[in-house]
Amino acid sequence: MERAVPPAVPLGQMEVFQALQRLHMTIFSQSVSPCGKFLAAGNNYGQIAIFSLSAALSSEAKEESKKPIVTFQAHDGPVYSMVSTDRHLLSAGDGEVKAWLWAEILKKGCKELWRRQPPYRTSLEVPEINALLLVPKENSLILAGGDCQLHTMDLETGTFTRALRGHTDYIHCLALRERSPEVLSGGEDGAVRLWDLRTAREVQTIEVYKHEECSRPHNGRWIGCLATDSDWMVCGGGPALTLWHLRSSTPTTVFPMRAPQKHVTFYQDLILSAGQGRCVNQWQLSGELKAQVPGSSPGLLSLSLNQQPAAPECKVLTAAGNSCRVDVFTNLGYRAFSLSF
Amino acid sequence: MSSESSKKRKPKVIRSDGAPAEGKRNRSDTEQEGKYYSEEAEVDLRDPGRDYELYKYTCQELQRLMAEIQDLKSRGGKDAAIEIEDRRIQSCVHFMTLKKLNRLAHIRLKKGRDQTHEAKQKVDAYHLQLQNLLYEVMHLQKEITKCLEFKSKHEEIDLVSLEEFYKEAPPDISKAEVTMGDPHQQTLARLDWELEQRKRLAEKYRECLSNKEKILKEIEVKKEYLSSLQPRLNSIMQASLPVQEYLFMPFDQAHKQYETARHLPPPLYVLFVQATAYGQACAHMKSSQTPRQDKTLSVAIEGSVDEAKALFKPPEDSQDDESDSDAEEEQTTKRRRPTLGVQLDDKRKEMLKRHPLSVMLDLKCKDDSVLHLTFYYLMNLNIMTVKAKVTTATELITPISAGDLLSPDSVLSCLYPGDHGKKTPNPANQYQFDKVGILTLRDYVLDLGHPYLWVQKLGGLHFPKEQPQHTVVADHSLSASHMETTMKLLKTRVQSRLALHKQFASLEHGIVPVTSDCQYLFPAKVVSRLVKWVAIAHEDYMELHFTKDIVEAGLAGDTNLYYMALVERGTAKLQAAVVLNPGYSSIPPIFQLCLNWKGEKTNSNDDNIRAMESEVNVCYKELCGPRPSHQLLTNQLQRLCVLLDVYLETESHDDSVEGPKEFPQEKMCLRLFRGPSRMKPFKYNHPQGFFSHR
Repeated sequence: MERAVPPAVPLGQMEVFQALQRLHMTIFSQSVSPCGKFLAAGNNYGQIAIFSLSAALSSEAKEESKKPIVTFQAHDGPVYSMVSTDRHLLSAGDGEVKAWLWAEILKKGCKELWRRQPPYRTSLEVPEINALLLVPKENSLILAGGDCQLHTMDLETGTFTRALRGHTDYIHCLALRERSPEVLSGGEDGAVRLWDLRTAREVQTIEVYKHEECSRPHNGRWIGCLATDSDWMVCGGGPALTLWHLRSSTPTTVFPMRAPQKHVTFYQDLILSAGQGRCVNQWQLSGELKAQVPGSSPGLLSLSLNQQPAAPECKVLTAAGNSCRVDVFTNLGYRAFSLSF
Repeated sequence: MSSESSKKRKPKVIRSDGAPAEGKRNRSDTEQEGKYYSEEAEVDLRDPGRDYELYKYTCQELQRLMAEIQDLKSRGGKDAAIEIEDRRIQSCVHFMTLKKLNRLAHIRLKKGRDQTHEAKQKVDAYHLQLQNLLYEVMHLQKEITKCLEFKSKHEEIDLVSLEEFYKEAPPDISKAEVTMGDPHQQTLARLDWELEQRKRLAEKYRECLSNKEKILKEIEVKKEYLSSLQPRLNSIMQASLPVQEYLFMPFDQAHKQYETARHLPPPLYVLFVQATAYGQACAHMKSSQTPRQDKTLSVAIEGSVDEAKALFKPPEDSQDDESDSDAEEEQTTKRRRPTLGVQLDDKRKEMLKRHPLSVMLDLKCKDDSVLHLTFYYLMNLNIMTVKAKVTTATELITPISAGDLLSPDSVLSCLYPGDHGKKTPNPANQYQFDKVGILTLRDYVLDLGHPYLWVQKLGGLHFPKEQPQHTVVADHSLSASHMETTMKLLKTRVQSRLALHKQFASLEHGIVPVTSDCQYLFPAKVVSRLVKWVAIAHEDYMELHFTKDIVEAGLAGDTNLYYMALVERGTAKLQAAVVLNPGYSSIPPIFQLCLNWKGEKTNSNDDNIRAMESEVNVCYKELCGPRPSHQLLTNQLQRLCVLLDVYLETESHDDSVEGPKEFPQEKMCLRLFRGPSRMKPFKYNHPQGFFSHR
C-alpha cells in the first residue's frame, strides 16, 4: 500500500505515533555551538537535535534547512540543560552530565566523549540536573538540580571538587556574577542564594516570596529563572518577575506580568523574559513593557542569544518551549521563522 | 603635338575641297590609287626606324632654318631677302618630307589594325567551337549517369542466394556455363527461377485451401455428434441423483454452486474461488489441530442465475429490446416528452446497476459473532462493493454512544489506512459520472455498499493511480495475496469493535471496566470518577477550543469517531475529547484535556495538563494490556482518573487561602515537582505503589 499522505487523510500507526510524539514534545534547552553557526536543542524524549543556523538564515534557505541536520538520543530522560565550551557540548538531565565533541557531532558521529555523575546521597530516585553553568575563570562547571546542592566539577580532571549545600528544595536555575567569583542559584524553596566560590560559603539569601511586592502565593514560591548584571539581579517564577539590587537586597522594579516566567536574561539595556504564554517579553529597567513578540509555542522555557563573534550573520534570538519548534527572531521585533524537530 | 594634329587634318580638308569637282576627281582618283598602292608597297619596304631617324633629322633641319630666317630678319639688310627665300625653299622641301612621313605612318597604323582584327576573329571562332564541344561533353556525361542510375524492377525482388540458385535450379534454367561469366545473364536466369518457384507455391496454397475446407466439414460433423450426446448425459445425471442423496455425497450441490459460479462476473468469480480456497485451507488446518468441524469462513452465491444468464446472451435479444424500446420511446415522445431529469435519473440507475449475482461471505469469530459480507459487482463501473453486517451470539444492549460502532456504514471503515470506501477506486469512473451528473459515489454508497480498496483487491481488480485504464482484468494472484491479511484484519476489526461496544456499555453508566489482568497498571484506590461518556459529532469536536493542536496536526479526519468524557472529583471537572481512529486498537485513541478547577486549564496554559495528555497519548503502549489490547480505551480512561487524582492532590497549597486543602495528599510520592517545567509525579510504580517522575 504505497500512498502519498496529505495531512487530512488518516495515517498509519507509525505516522500517528510520530505525530503524537511531536505534538507532545517539549524543548527544554538550547545551546549555540562555539562557531556560532549551529544550535543544539534538547527535548523531553532525551534527544538532541542540531540545527544549522547559517543554512536556515541564508538567502537560499529551503524547508529542509529548518529541519535538524542531525538528531541523536543523548539521555534516557529529558535534556534539561546544555552549555557549550569552546570544543564540547555538555548536556544534562537525568542525573548525569555528558560531553560531546562539537566537531564530531557536526560530522554526524554522535558518540559521547565522557559522562559524569555528581556524588548523590542515595535516594530512590536519581535527582535530575536542572542547570549547568560554566565558570570560565577556573575552568569548571557547576551543576545543580534535584538534590538541592550545587556541585562544582573541574573540567580539567573531571572530578567533583565542592558541594554547596543550603537549598531546602530542588534548584531551578543558576547565574554567574562576572566580576567576583560568585554564583546565584534559585530554587523551588523560593530562595535566591548567593555563593562565594572561593570559600564555598553562602554569602547572601533573598527569600523572594517573603516580599509582599512580588509574592504571589497562588502561583507558589518557586524561583524559575534568574539573571544577573553587576549589582543587579532579576528573578521570577511563582513570585512576580522582579529586579533586585543585590547589595541592599531590595526589590527595585516589579514587572507587571501575571504568567510565571521560566527564562530571563539581560540584553543591552533591556530585560528579555519568557514563560507561560506565547510571547517573548521585552522590559525596560523601569518596569515598562517595551514589546511582546509572539512566538509559535504555547509556552516558552528557554531563550538563547547567539552572540558568538565568530558568526555575526547568525546573531539571532532563539526561543523554545512546549512544542517541537524553535522560534528564531532575527531582530527583536518579530519571529522570522521556526526550526522544527 | 598641335602642329602634328594640324598636319593630320590638312589632307582631309584638301579632299573635301576637291569633292565637288567630279570629273577631275575620277582621274585624280585613279592617279591617287596608283600612288596609294605604290605608297602601300613602299611602306613594306621601308624601315620604320629609319623613318623615325629621318623625321628627327628633318625637324632639326627645319628648326635650324627657322632660326636662321629669324636671325636674318632681325639683322635686316638687302641680301637678307634672298637668303630668306633660299631658306624658305629649303624648308618647303623638308615639309614635303614630313608630309610623306605622316602618310606612311597612317598607312602603317591602318595595316596594324586590320591585322589585329583578323586575328581576333579567328580566336572568336575557336572559342565558339570549344564551347560547343564542352556542352556536348556535359550532355554525354549526364546521359551516362542517367543510365547508371537506372533502377530495374527486378532489384526489389528478394532472390535466393547465388549458391542456393546453382544448387537447386535445374540446369536448363541456370545454364551454368553461360551465366557464370556474365552477371546479366546470371540475373536473368535467377529471375526465371524465381518465377518458377512462385508458380509452384501458388499451386501449393490452392491445395491447402481445399484441404482446410475439407477439415472444416469434418469438424462440423463431429460437433453435431457431440451436441447430440449432451441430452443423453443429462438424463444419466438425472438418474444418478437419488443414489447421490442416498450416499450423502454433496457433489451435486457443490457442482451446482460451481455451475452458478460460472455466471459470476470475473471479479466476483475470482473472489469466490479465492475465498472458497482460503476457507477450505483454514478448515483443513483447524481439523488437523482440533476435531471441531465448524468452518470459520463460508462462501455462498446469491441472486438469480436466470437474470445473469440473460445478461450473457445480449446480441439478438438486446437488439430487439433496443429497437422495441426505441419504438416505445418514439411513442412516448409522441404522447409526452419525459423531462430531462427523469432521463438522467434513468441513466444514473443504469450506470450504477449491480450484477444480479452476489457473493456472500460469512466470517465467524472465536466468540461466535459473525461478520456477514455481501460483495456486489457494479457492471458499468467495473468496481466491487461490499455491505457488512455483524451478528453476535448473545443479544447486545446497544449503548447510545456506540451507535456507529457496528453500523454497516462504518464498521469496516479504514481497514487499511485511508481506505474509507466513499470514493470510487476506479479512476475511469469519474468521467462516466461527469456524463450523467453524479458528483461523487458517496451519495449512493448506502444503497450500493462501499467500494473499499481491499474489496477490489480481493476481486483481483487493481486500478493504477495515474491513468484510467479501460481494460482492468480480474487477477487471481492479486486476490490470493490479499486474502489472508484482509481476513485477519476483518476479524480483528470485528473483535475490537465488539470489545469497544462492551466497554461503551459500561462507560455510559460511569463504570470504567478495568479487567483483572490490567489491574496492576493502577493503584487500588482511585477517587476520580467517570461521570459522562457521549459521542459527539466531528464538527463539534473541531469547534472545541482545546482540540486545536490535534486538528492542526491532521489527526482529526472525518472518518474518525469522536467522544467526550467527563471525569470528576469534588469541584474539579476534567473534560476529555477523544478521537477514536477506526483502526483502534493499533492506532490509539487520542485525548485532549480541559480541566475546570480554579480556572480553566488546558495544555496551552498548564504544563501538567500537557504532561497528562502525553501520558495517555504517547505512553499508551504501557496501557495496552494483554494482546490484542482491546482494553486500551478503558485503561486510558482509568489512567486519566489516576492522573487527575495525582494532579489534584499534589497541587501546592495556597498559603493565603484559609481552611484545609480540598484534596489531601493520599498518594505516595517521592517528590512533588521535578524539572524546569515543574512536572508532577505521574508515573505509577506497580508493586511498590508509589508515584514517581517519568
